[in-house]
Amino acid sequence: MKTPSPTWSPSTALTSSSTAVGTTTLMPLFWSPSPGPTTPPPFYLRNVYHFKFLLKRALTWVAPTVDAVLLSHSDTLHLGALPYAMKKLGLSAPVFATEPVYRLGLLTMYDHYLSRKQVSEFDLFTLDDIDSAFQNITRLTYSQNYHISGKGEGIVIAPHVAGHLLGGTVWKITKDGEDVIYAVDFNHRKERHLNGTVLESFVRPAVLITDAYNALNNQPSRRQRDQEFLDAIMKTLRADGNVLLPVDTAGRVLELILILEQFWEQHKLAYPIFFLTYVSSSTIDYVKSFLEWMSDSIAKSFEHTRDNAFLLRHVKLLINKSDLESVPDGPKVVLASMGSLEAGFSHDIFVEWVSDTKNLILFSERGQFGTLARMLQADPPPKAVKVTMSKRVPLVGEELAAYEEEQNRIKKEEALKASLIKEEESKASLRTELPVNDQMVLDANNTHSSSNAIGQRSEAFRDVLIDGFLPPSTSVAPMFPFYDCSSEWDDFGEVINPDDYVTKDVNIDQMLMPVDGELAGKLDEGSVSLILDTTPSKVVSTELTVQVKCSLIYMDFEGRSDGRSIKSILAHVAPLKLVLVHGSAEATEHLKQHCLQHVCPHVYAPQIEETIDVTSDLCAYKVQLSEKLMSNVLFKKLGEYEIAWVDAEVGKTQNGMLSLLPLSSPAPPHKTVLVGDIKMADFKQFLASKGVQVEFAGGALRCGEYVTLRKVGDASQKGGSAAIQQIILEGPLTEEYYKIREYLYSQFYAP
Amino acid sequence: MASTGQSLTSLKKREATTANNRDGDQLIITPLGAGNEVGRSCVYMSYKGKTVLFDCGIHPAYSGMAALPYFDEIDPSTIDVLLITHFHLDHAASLPYFLEKTTFKGRVFMTHATKAIYKLLLSDYVKVSKVSVEDMLFTEQDINNSMERIEVIDFHQTLEVNGIRFWCYTAGHVLGAAMFMVDIAGVRVLYTGDYSREEDRHLRAAELPQFSPDICIIESTYGVQLHQPRHIREKRFTDAIHSTVSQGGRVLIPAFALGRAQELLLILEEYWSNHRELENVPIYYASPLAKRCMAVYQTYINSMNERIRSQYANSNPFEFKHISPLKSIENFNDVGPSVVMASPGGLQSGLSRQLFDRWCSDKRNACVIPGYVVEGTPAKTIINEPKEVTLTNGLTAPLNMQVHYISFSAHADYAQTSTFLKELMPPNIILVHGEANEMGRLKQKLVSLFADRNTKIITPKNCQSVEMYFTSEKMAKTIGKLAEKVPEVGETVSGLLVKKGFTYQIMAPDDLRVFSQLSTANVTQRITIPYSGAFAVIKHRLKQIYESVESSTDEESGVPTLRVHGQVTVKQESENHISLHWTADPISDMVSDSIVALVLNANREMSKVVVESEPVVSEEEDARKAEKIVHALLVSLFGDVKFGENGKLVISVDGNIAHLDKQSGDVESENEGLKERVRMAFQRIRSAVRPIPLSA
Repeated sequence: MKTPSPTWSPSTALTSSSTAVGTTTLMPLFWSPSPGPTTPPPFYLRNVYHFKFLLKRALTWVAPTVDAVLLSHSDTLHLGALPYAMKKLGLSAPVFATEPVYRLGLLTMYDHYLSRKQVSEFDLFTLDDIDSAFQNITRLTYSQNYHISGKGEGIVIAPHVAGHLLGGTVWKITKDGEDVIYAVDFNHRKERHLNGTVLESFVRPAVLITDAYNALNNQPSRRQRDQEFLDAIMKTLRADGNVLLPVDTAGRVLELILILEQFWEQHKLAYPIFFLTYVSSSTIDYVKSFLEWMSDSIAKSFEHTRDNAFLLRHVKLLINKSDLESVPDGPKVVLASMGSLEAGFSHDIFVEWVSDTKNLILFSERGQFGTLARMLQADPPPKAVKVTMSKRVPLVGEELAAYEEEQNRIKKEEALKASLIKEEESKASLRTELPVNDQMVLDANNTHSSSNAIGQRSEAFRDVLIDGFLPPSTSVAPMFPFYDCSSEWDDFGEVINPDDYVTKDVNIDQMLMPVDGELAGKLDEGSVSLILDTTPSKVVSTELTVQVKCSLIYMDFEGRSDGRSIKSILAHVAPLKLVLVHGSAEATEHLKQHCLQHVCPHVYAPQIEETIDVTSDLCAYKVQLSEKLMSNVLFKKLGEYEIAWVDAEVGKTQNGMLSLLPLSSPAPPHKTVLVGDIKMADFKQFLASKGVQVEFAGGALRCGEYVTLRKVGDASQKGGSAAIQQIILEGPLTEEYYKIREYLYSQFYAP
Repeated sequence: MASTGQSLTSLKKREATTANNRDGDQLIITPLGAGNEVGRSCVYMSYKGKTVLFDCGIHPAYSGMAALPYFDEIDPSTIDVLLITHFHLDHAASLPYFLEKTTFKGRVFMTHATKAIYKLLLSDYVKVSKVSVEDMLFTEQDINNSMERIEVIDFHQTLEVNGIRFWCYTAGHVLGAAMFMVDIAGVRVLYTGDYSREEDRHLRAAELPQFSPDICIIESTYGVQLHQPRHIREKRFTDAIHSTVSQGGRVLIPAFALGRAQELLLILEEYWSNHRELENVPIYYASPLAKRCMAVYQTYINSMNERIRSQYANSNPFEFKHISPLKSIENFNDVGPSVVMASPGGLQSGLSRQLFDRWCSDKRNACVIPGYVVEGTPAKTIINEPKEVTLTNGLTAPLNMQVHYISFSAHADYAQTSTFLKELMPPNIILVHGEANEMGRLKQKLVSLFADRNTKIITPKNCQSVEMYFTSEKMAKTIGKLAEKVPEVGETVSGLLVKKGFTYQIMAPDDLRVFSQLSTANVTQRITIPYSGAFAVIKHRLKQIYESVESSTDEESGVPTLRVHGQVTVKQESENHISLHWTADPISDMVSDSIVALVLNANREMSKVVVESEPVVSEEEDARKAEKIVHALLVSLFGDVKFGENGKLVISVDGNIAHLDKQSGDVESENEGLKERVRMAFQRIRSAVRPIPLSA
């Protein structure tokens, strides 16, 4: 087992922004628990355990002090830790998210839980925990200014379009006119279903928190990428192969679905496409009602033709793998969760398809560190990988008896329980085959295993090794475990006999209560059966090595801005302070150096658990502008600003406010300021329009015969020391000189 | 903070005040439609040079140009933002006209659902309205063009256009209906449009805005009437229908195609499901339009209430089992009892009128009018159950069918309006969208309700402007270096005042680039002058004029330099040239000009250089000269300036007299305006007459 890497990302979003809100004093203390030196592994099985420890270590002390949680995206990277933090760490702050992030996040968590549950003892949180964590999320719309009341009085938060995922959010946190922007995983490019981010419309925020994840990446053009994507798929299909796209539950997959739909429609293709997750039909149902969160073109097409873009004509939604198996053989495209290939349907399909050279596995996002997907994306790809096939089976016969006995024993010997189980399990972990027989988990009462034991046990599930040459002896006869699927199906899905569930345990009712009717209805039947399935069961795992013979392709459909765009966006936003989170050490350092040079002098890249203080050193006070003063002020309009010079005397109003009154004595002289941004090219045109001969020569502007105008120091380097433009006007004493000087002055405003 | 009044009082106020930018504080609200009437909602609002138009409807009882709001009253090109609350014709139907046929060039906003239905609804309106081509306000093409210009806004989303900030709340009236809150320079105006505070089968109730507005423009359709509780209304509705059809009669429900119709269909569907005996009685829904809009209803479930959304989870509640669509009267197989819901709701024309004409004489039949009916429509007439009615073909027929009036229209009643206003507590209430009598009664009741609070309730007629004054306190934030220390009373603050939108910031010039996108520049000037004389001569001359002339040698080239006034550097570049360097600002420019003049002079008068003793000019003489100049300048400014007592000057302008103390600059006068002007003039004259201080 690897040592817990010091990276932890699920609550990057969670904490860094939340603490910002937390302190009511002016933008305070940032506790940024994210990206350390490696790419952060997200919330995958093995990391879950790390994550738990890390959480314990890192989050426990901070969770109760958090004042608000702002969720920015609906994937596990951004909200995966929420149920755990809510349940175990005493996180009780209000949570804010957009409607799609709430809905799709919930579905993502369901899918994630159910996928994990199938193959492992997953007990960090239950479906109930997910429901209760999501229950109290306050839902906001884009650019809704939400005024926080109570402790954070005076703070206004507002979500803005981030691109990347549906409902994805760039958070703007405002207090006293100072903005803190939290923008991770944004995409400036407009896509089929999403608009680009509006991050660029923010200028000069006090603090910008962003990620360096993509700082070293550059993307090909969208058109080219899409073409290659479709070409690769078509090539495989025409050669009678199957295509597997390991995808996320409800995020980037939407874009892929639209690409495929559109292409299939255009070319009248008949190859079937399947979208297989535990929650696929609910996902698409909800997505259909989120049109207002999508791109303008989708909204427009709906307004004009009332054609919902997600009324899918070619993609079939499946929620059960057996449905896929009943499809007649032949080339097909399957989009299945999870993208990591660590669990879920994609894992199973991968194992079935990987050894056929005709097939194609197309990754649309970079695998997270340490996952199967990442290994397969290595160059060159491994020739064979070892995978664990795990399957949940009901306990029967002796095992069931033993389980029941165990349950009774547990009840009787409450006191001895912990130590006994520890012993048992440590024994169990030594065994290599079947795990012990007390692995009944979907019983809410049964949360007795200590985290310690789990950590050890997880060793048994450590499943993937790169092993190109010597298949271990255990996999001499690879074989899939086979279990009869006994459930009956009718037109409405699996036939559920309510009696099966009523008799079992009162737990079921409790479990469904928080689901709130609406949610229960929305859950697909397959998953409902999973939730309701409380028969004692265990996970059976077999390890096998599979030859990687199929084609493997990775294409960037992550929907994040690439390195170059990030840099230009940052330069445009020009924050006073910049905090970089989430990215490999290399990328973070690269971006940091770049920003120090070109964006702003304060760049922070905190390690996990490192606290940085970005408290604003800005001084500010409010004054009232008296009517008398204002009546003598003449504003000059410059772009969207109007400026004027004021000399005023400080007075007090009746209610103790400071106010500015006109001076009683003549104003003292002040140093002249020339306000304006002169562009040499524009000025050249201006002079030309005034009939002056102008040309560029050797970096200077030659005006007329003798006068030259040069600009030293670049105004675009905001934050740098040379921010004030230096313009040098040289020439002999001629009339022309004064004329040009006059023109030059006219470009500025000198209050 | 606000002072309110209708035109007469406000004029007085304007006279009383001396502030000269009072006009900017004037807020004008003018109903161009829906003032003391129902229909053609359109309210104009202007404040601080920003102009907003709420809604853009037509009057359903008129046709052609007469149905439009009074657009002539305003200059459409000055309007910045047009906000449409919901898709009903009386709120949105003149939009294509306004966008395509007037000079309006601002931006238009409505919610997603409203925009989607708007197009369908207006296309339908164009098709069915049977007016002559000249009377057509707009064509299908105009509607399509208008779609390009309409922008969408989501509930609670805050947008800012040209300094006008606005956002919207759920209004509950129909799908996508919104109440708009507009914030201009801190003054908030809430326009409710049509709203309902009661949750029904599919819509949420109108929200209570988080902030209290300064002005609330509110609908008053139902005046002081009270709605029956919803379940009673529903029971009356279903009972009336049930008894009619069980006696073999036919039921006509004239209803507008969209909005309430969906609610009624939900009620009927549910009732039919619960009453098996009615299974054989068909319900027809005669509106292809509504059918087309179903996709919209199915998509924007997020704008509806929890109830419908949870239903949606299982099956689409808008897919009816017992209700079938009816294309036209030709397709209608009129045998036996049936229920037909048909548009229009006012029975003016179309299918509902055709069926009415056919059925009105049979006493077994019934007509259920389910909502508000506009004055002047046949539906309004039959509510009073006349003995006879005039049919479309001009004949009269006895009105034997039963007429039920059961209001389901989702407008607030008095109870809702009064609670809403009580919780909102706006200091100014403007009633629109109500028939004059109802509105008057509502006003009376509200006046007594808010008697203890100084609440103004105004019911303007169309084109009658309400003028209010809001002296907004302008607040500025001093930031950056300038704010390192909070100043005490009496200290001075000097810096750049930067205005963006309606926010003000004061900052030091150096900070400008930090806190805004503006940047500052330095212009360094270097000018070369031919001069072949001795450098010492220039130095000598300069010393005669300027107090501060430092000489040194240039470090790089080793040539002698002079630094005049600490700002301008004079350098001997070569035998034949000298150069001047300085950083541009008015004083340095002036100094450099004088040096240039001096050098040119020196060139010319090279030989005549003689060192003379400086003539001593006594300060006394200086002062006398200055006084003369001051007097002369004042005379040129004010005309009648006399010397008064104690060395004071007496200035009289148009009968107003000001006394000016020449020493201190104090001015005494009865007239504030004159006092201020004299003081200002004297200050400027003094600063012109006195020598420029060196320490700039």
